[in-house]
Amino acid sequence: MEEVGRSIDIETRRMELRGVVKVAGEVIAQYWPMRTFVHHNPLHSLEYLPFEEAVRRGKQFMGGDGYLPSHLYRRYLNTGRITSAHLDAALKPLIHDKHLAIGSRTVTHGDLLRACLAEGICTPVVEPLDDQLPDPSNDLIDRLAAKLASVSTCSDLDGRIRSIAEGDQAALGRWLTLSHWCDDTLGTQIVRQINDQLIKWCEAFLDEGHATWPMPGREKGLYGAWKALAVHEWSPCGIEDSIKKISRLPDHPEDALLESLDALGIPAELRQDYLSLQLTALPGWAGFIKWRAEQREYAWQRAYPVGLVKYLAIRLWYARELVQQACRQELGIDGRYDSVTAYIRTHAEEYYLRRQRVAGRLPALYAEEVDRLAHQKNNGWKTVLDRYRAEVVARQEAAARRSAARKLLALARSLEIDAAQLAECSPTDLKRVVDWMEAFPESDHGPVWLKAFEAGYHDRLLGQLQQRRAEAHQPAQTRPYSQSVYCIDVRSEPFRRHLESVGPHETLGFAGFFAAFIRYRAWGKEHDTEQFPVIMRAKHEVREIPRSYLGHKVSKHEARAKWVAAGHTLLHDLKENVVTPYVMVESLGWFYGLPMVGKTLLPSLYRRWTAWLRRIFVPSIATTLTVDKLAPAETAEMLAAEQQATVRKALQERTGLRSSRITPELVEGLRQRALSGQGDPDPPLVKEAERAGLSMERLNAFAETLQRQYDLNARTASRHKERITRTGFTLEEQILTVDTALRMMGLTKNFARLVLFCAHGSTSDNNPYESALDCGACGGNEGSPNARALATMANNQRVRERLTKTGIEIPTDTHFLAGQMDTTTDDIHLFDLEDVPPTHRADVARLQEDLKGAAELTSQERCGRFPEVRQAVKGKRAEAHARRRSTDWSQVRPEWGLSSNTAFLIGRRDLSKGIDMGGRVFLHSYDYREDPNNRLLEVLLTAPQVVAQWINMEHYFSTVDNDVYGSGSKIYHNVVGRLGIMSGPWSDLRLGLARQTVMNGDVPYHEPMRLLTIIEAPRERIEKLIARHEVLRHYYHNEWVHLVALEPEEGVLYRYRPTGQWARIDG
Amino acid sequence: MMGEAVASVLSAGVPLLGALLSLALWPQPDKLRICSIATAVISLGAVVGLSGYLTGPTEGFLFVYLLPIAAGASLLGQPVHPLHRSSWIMTLVFLGLGLGVLTLRGPAEQMCLIAIVDHTPLWPMSWWGIGLFTLGVACAGTSLLADPPLSSVTSLLSCAILLPLVPLHGGYLAALTRLPGNLPPFLAVLLPTAGLHGLAALIRTVPDVVAIGITVLAVVGGLYGAVKALAQSRVRLRLAYGSLSFFSMLWWFMAATRGTAPSAAVFVGAVALATSGLLLSWQVVRTRYGDDVDPQAVSGLASAMPSYAVLLSLLALAAIGLPPFGVFSGFVGLLLSAPVSFSIAILIILLVWLAASWYILEMVQRLLFGARRSDLRHTDLRRDELASLLLIVVALLALGVIPAHLIGPGTMTPPTTTDTGSFAWKK
Repeated sequence: MEEVGRSIDIETRRMELRGVVKVAGEVIAQYWPMRTFVHHNPLHSLEYLPFEEAVRRGKQFMGGDGYLPSHLYRRYLNTGRITSAHLDAALKPLIHDKHLAIGSRTVTHGDLLRACLAEGICTPVVEPLDDQLPDPSNDLIDRLAAKLASVSTCSDLDGRIRSIAEGDQAALGRWLTLSHWCDDTLGTQIVRQINDQLIKWCEAFLDEGHATWPMPGREKGLYGAWKALAVHEWSPCGIEDSIKKISRLPDHPEDALLESLDALGIPAELRQDYLSLQLTALPGWAGFIKWRAEQREYAWQRAYPVGLVKYLAIRLWYARELVQQACRQELGIDGRYDSVTAYIRTHAEEYYLRRQRVAGRLPALYAEEVDRLAHQKNNGWKTVLDRYRAEVVARQEAAARRSAARKLLALARSLEIDAAQLAECSPTDLKRVVDWMEAFPESDHGPVWLKAFEAGYHDRLLGQLQQRRAEAHQPAQTRPYSQSVYCIDVRSEPFRRHLESVGPHETLGFAGFFAAFIRYRAWGKEHDTEQFPVIMRAKHEVREIPRSYLGHKVSKHEARAKWVAAGHTLLHDLKENVVTPYVMVESLGWFYGLPMVGKTLLPSLYRRWTAWLRRIFVPSIATTLTVDKLAPAETAEMLAAEQQATVRKALQERTGLRSSRITPELVEGLRQRALSGQGDPDPPLVKEAERAGLSMERLNAFAETLQRQYDLNARTASRHKERITRTGFTLEEQILTVDTALRMMGLTKNFARLVLFCAHGSTSDNNPYESALDCGACGGNEGSPNARALATMANNQRVRERLTKTGIEIPTDTHFLAGQMDTTTDDIHLFDLEDVPPTHRADVARLQEDLKGAAELTSQERCGRFPEVRQAVKGKRAEAHARRRSTDWSQVRPEWGLSSNTAFLIGRRDLSKGIDMGGRVFLHSYDYREDPNNRLLEVLLTAPQVVAQWINMEHYFSTVDNDVYGSGSKIYHNVVGRLGIMSGPWSDLRLGLARQTVMNGDVPYHEPMRLLTIIEAPRERIEKLIARHEVLRHYYHNEWVHLVALEPEEGVLYRYRPTGQWARIDG
Repeated sequence: MMGEAVASVLSAGVPLLGALLSLALWPQPDKLRICSIATAVISLGAVVGLSGYLTGPTEGFLFVYLLPIAAGASLLGQPVHPLHRSSWIMTLVFLGLGLGVLTLRGPAEQMCLIAIVDHTPLWPMSWWGIGLFTLGVACAGTSLLADPPLSSVTSLLSCAILLPLVPLHGGYLAALTRLPGNLPPFLAVLLPTAGLHGLAALIRTVPDVVAIGITVLAVVGGLYGAVKALAQSRVRLRLAYGSLSFFSMLWWFMAATRGTAPSAAVFVGAVALATSGLLLSWQVVRTRYGDDVDPQAVSGLASAMPSYAVLLSLLALAAIGLPPFGVFSGFVGLLLSAPVSFSIAILIILLVWLAASWYILEMVQRLLFGARRSDLRHTDLRRDELASLLLIVVALLALGVIPAHLIGPGTMTPPTTTDTGSFAWKK
C-alpha cells in the first residue's frame, strides 16, 4: 500500500513538473525546420504583454534589444526619414512643464529630452579615471565638474555594495541562474561549458539524416541516449566522477530534473522562472525541441522522441555539477540557492569586489589584488576594499562629474548655447539639468524613436490612400482581359501594379494557399508537404499523378528517374564512406571541377545547360492532381495495386524469383494471405506457389515476412485505406472551398474569360534559407499545388452549377488557370495549359505576353533596390540580372524577400490601385459588402493577419538585434542536421533571418516597424471581432499591431487606440 | 680618425643638445614634445649623414639607425600631457647615450653605457630593478678599470642585464613595466641593442664552459619567459617576459656559434621594435581608458577603432614571427646559421616561439574582438599615434625584406680566440 502511495506521489510530482516545464517553455518561440521556414514572432508567447514590456522581458531572458540602436534612429532623423514633428509628438507624454535659464536662454524639459534623443547625449559612457586624450574642452569640463562637485552628494560605497547584494539576491532564480551567477562572480565559464555540451548532444540526437554516422541509441529518447553515451565520456567539463554520477541518475528524465532542482536548492516558487532561464540559454535548440515535441506524427519524433523535460534534465545535471564544483572550490560553500544567497548576504564586500573584478570595473592593480585574494583564499578583502574606498572611489566620483560635465557641454552645443554661459550657471541649475538627463537614460529612448519612426510611414501611406480615394472615380463595370489572384505576400504588390499598368487586367490578393488546406505529394517524391499556414491543420491530401494518356511514357520516366536517383545515392555513399573518398578524390574528383567552374563563372549558362541535360535524360511529363475524392471501389483498387507492388518487390528481394515467374495470381494470393493472417493457404495459392517453386513452409514463412517486415497486414491496410480516403475533395468540399475563396477575395461577379490563381515560389542556389523565400501561407513551400487544386475545382462544371445557387454565377466562358510566380526571377509559369479550351488560346497568349511585360517591369523595379546595382538597369538586362542572382551560388541575397514589409491592407483593390507601395504592403482583397455576417473578415483577421504579423515581427526583431533574434551573417552559416543552421561549426541553432536579408551594410534595409493593418470595413464590425478574439485584443491593445479602419460610408480613416477608442485621422 | 671621433661625438651630441634645448620649453608641453620629435628626426638625419665617417659597430649600422626611429616613434605615440615632459627629455638623453655607446670607442663608450645603466634605475619603483641596474653600473665600471678576465666577466654581466638573460633580467623587466611615459617603448629598443653591441664583441672570446653556461641559462630563460608571459594578465609584463624569451633565443644562438651573424642584429632589432610597437599600442589604450585600466575590461576594439586594429594585428603578426617581418627573417637566419642541426635546445626554442604566438595573439584577440563595450568612448588613432605605429610596422617590414647583409655586419664574425681551458679572456 505504501509502495502504491509512493508511486502515485512520484507520478504526481512528475506531472506537476511537466506542467511547470510547459509553462516555462512559453518564453521561447518554436523553431520550425529550415526546409519549411516559418516566419514567426520570437516573442510570440509574450504577446499577452504590452509590446514594450515584452521587449523588456526579451532583454532580461535572452539579452536581445527590442529597438534599433539610437545612432541609427538619429541617422533617420538626420536624413529626414524621422521628422521633428513626429519626434516631438512621440516625446509629448514624457515632457514635464519645467524649465530653467542658461544665460539668456530658457531651456525647457522638452528641449532637453529632444536634445538627448537627437544628439545622443544620454549615451552611457564610463569616464576613465585618468583620461589623457587631448581635448580643447578639458578646461571647461574641469570647471563644470568643479561646480557640480559643490552640489553632488558623495556616493556611498557601502550603500552601493548593499544594493548590489540585495539586487542580486532578488534576481537569483528569477533573472539569474546559479551558473550565470558563478560566471559573473567567480569568472568561471559554466554557461558556455553547458551550452557546448548541449549543442554537442542536440546536434547529434536531433540530426535528420545529415550525419554520416548517426548517434546510436536514439530510440531511447534524448535523455536515455545521452545517459547511455555520456557515461563513457571521461570527465566532461572537468566534472569529477562523472561516470559514476551519470550511471546513478534515475531512468526517468523527470526524476533526474527534480533531483537536479533539489540539488541546486531552487525554491518551488522560482522553478518555473529558473527553467525558463535555462531554456533561453540556447533558444534555438530548445525552440526546435519544443516544436518537435508537439509534432507527435512527425516521423523523426516518432522514431527518436525528444522533449523539453529531457533536455532540461541533461542541462541541469551539468549545471548542478559545475555550480557545485565552482562554489566548493572557490568559495567553500555548497552550490545551492540558499548557500549562495547566504554568501552574498554575509560576504557582501568580498562579493562586491569579485563581481567588479569579473566585470572589468576594477583598476588593474585591484584586479590583481582580488585575483590574489581569491587564489590564496585570504581574508584580506576588507583591507583591499578600504584601500579601494580611499584611493579609487573619490577618483570615480571625479570621473562621474567629468562625464556629467561632458554631457552638459554636448547639450549646450546641441541647443546652440555658448559654453561659457554654461559655466556661469549656478551649480544647482547645472545639477538639475544633469538630473533631467539621468532621468531619461538611453534605454528609455527606443519606444519614443519607434513611435516617431512609425508615424512618418503611417502618415505617408495613409495620406496616399486618402488621396487615391479622393481622386478615384467609380469605374464603369467592363469585363477585364483577365483577373489574376496573387498571394498577399508583399512581393506581389509591384507585380500586380505593373500588370495592371500594361493592360486592362484586374488583380486580387488572397492568402497564397487559396483556401485549400492540402497535404501534397509531388510526383516521384517520397515526402508530403503541408500546403497551408502552420497555424492550421491539413484536411485533405492531394497527389500529383501523371496524366492518364501518357501510358508507357510514365514507366520510362520512372525508370530514368530511378537511375538518376541511384547515381546520386552512389555518389553520396562514395563521398560519405570511410574509405572510398581517398580513391574517389583521385578518380572522380576532377568531375566536380566542372560544376564548380560552371556555377562560379557562368552560373546562368550552367543552369540552362544542366536543365537541358535533365530534360534530355528525364523528360518532364504532364501531370494532374487528385482533386476529386475517390469512390470506394477506386480506393480499394488503389490500395490493392500498392499492396501488390509490395508483394512483387518482396518476392524478388526475399525469394529471388524472376519477374517472369511471378504471376498475378501468386501475388494476389499472397496479398490475401498476408491480410487474412491465419489459417491454411488457399489451394489456388498453393498451386501457384508450387509452380513458382515455393514450398509450403517457404510460403508460410514468406507470408509472415510480408506481415512483419513489409507491414502488409490488416491493421496497416486499414490505416492506409483511411489515408487514401482523405485524398481529394468531395463535391461539397469543393463547392465550399471555391465559394469561400471567391467570396473572401471579393470576386463574385464580372468574371473575366481567364482567371489566374497565381502562387509563388523562388529559385536560389546554395541557400539554406530558400524556403523563407517561398510562400509563408503554404507553410514555407511553393504554392503551385494549391493554385492548381483551386483552379481544377473552379473549372468543375458541377461545382459551378452549385455555386450559381449560392449567388456566384461564373460565366461558361470563364476558365480558371493556375500559375506560379518565381519571386527571384519574376517569371510566371502557367500550369495545366492543355486543359485550356481551344477558344481561350488567344486569351492565354495575350495574358502570357502581358505577364512577361509586367515581369520585366518588376525586375527593373527590384534591381533598383539591390545595393550593388548602382545604375538603373532596364528591360532585358534587368531580367537577366534577376536571373543571374537566382543561379549564383555565391549570392547571399538572391532577392530581398519579404524585407521592408510594413502594412496589411484588407479592402478592395480600388483603394490602392495605382499607388506605388514599394513592395511593402500585404494586400488582401476584401469587399465588406460581400460579408454581411462578418464571417470572412473574422477569418482574415485571425489567419492571414496573424501570418502577416509573424512575418512582420520576425523581420522586426531580426533587424533590431540580428545577433540575438536574427541569425547573423550568412557567411558563417553551416547547415546542421538538415534542420537548421549554426554560425560556424558550433553554436545555438540560429533563429530568425540572416543579416543580409534585413540589413544593407550597417544600415537596415528593412525598416523595423510594427505591422499597420488597414481594414476597409465598418468600425462596429471590427470592434465585435476584437471583442470576440483574444488574439486581436493582444495585437491592438498591447500595441503589437496598429489598426486603422477605413469607414466605407464616410470615407474617413480612424485609428484604433490601445484603450479601445477610435480616433479620427484627418487627411 | 679625427673625422670619425668628431662624427661619433656629433651623433651622440645632437640628441643631448636637443634635450638641453627642450628644457627651455618646459612650460609648454606641446612645443616640448614637438622639439623632442624634431631632435629625434635630426639625430636620424645626422647618423645617416655621418655614417660614412663612422666605423661600423661589430653588429653593423642597423642599431644606429633604429635608435632614433624608436625614439621618434615612442615620442609620437605619447599624448601631450605635462606629466610626460620629463620622460620626453630623458628619451633624448638616452638616445644620445645610446648613440654614444654604438659609435664611440674606448672609455667614452663605456662611460655612455654606465650613464644609461646608471640613469635607468632612477625611475623604476622596483628594488629588484634598482639592484640589478646598480650591479650593471658596477660591472660596467669594473670592466672599464679592471684587466681580463675580470673585465670580460663584468662586461658579460652588464650585457646580460641589458640584453636580458635569466637571472639578470629584472632590470629589463622593471624598465619596461615601471618606467613612465614613452620610456618603456624606447628602452625596449635601447637596452637590448646596447646589450648586443657589447656582446657582439665579447662573445667571440668566451671559453667553452661559459658558453655552455650561457646556453643552459638561455634555454631555461626562454622557457621561463614563455611560461611567465603565458601566466600574465597585465600587458606590459606579458610583453616584457615575451621579449625575454625571444632574447634568450639569441643568447642561445650566440653561445652556440660564438659569433655574430647578420641575422642576430636583425633579430634583436626586430624583436625590440615589435615589443616597442606593442607597448605603444597598449599605450594607446591607456591614453583612452586610464593608466591603470584592466586589460580584461577592454574588448571589441576592432569595429570601433579599425586603424588601431589593423596596426595592432600587424604588430602582433610581426611579434609572433610571421613573414614578411623582421622577427621571422631574423629567427630563420639564426636557425640556418646555427651550427647544431638538432637538439633539445632547438626543440625548446621552437616551443617558446610557438608559445609566443599563443599569448600574443590571445592578448590581441581579447582587445580587438569579443563584445564591444558600448559604455566606453572609442576614439580611433590620432594622426601622431597612427604615424608612430606605422613607423614601427614599416621598420619591421623593412627588417624582414631588406637583405640582412645590407643592414647587418655583412658576414658572420667567427670566434677569434677562445681559450677553452683557462679563464683568461681577451678583450
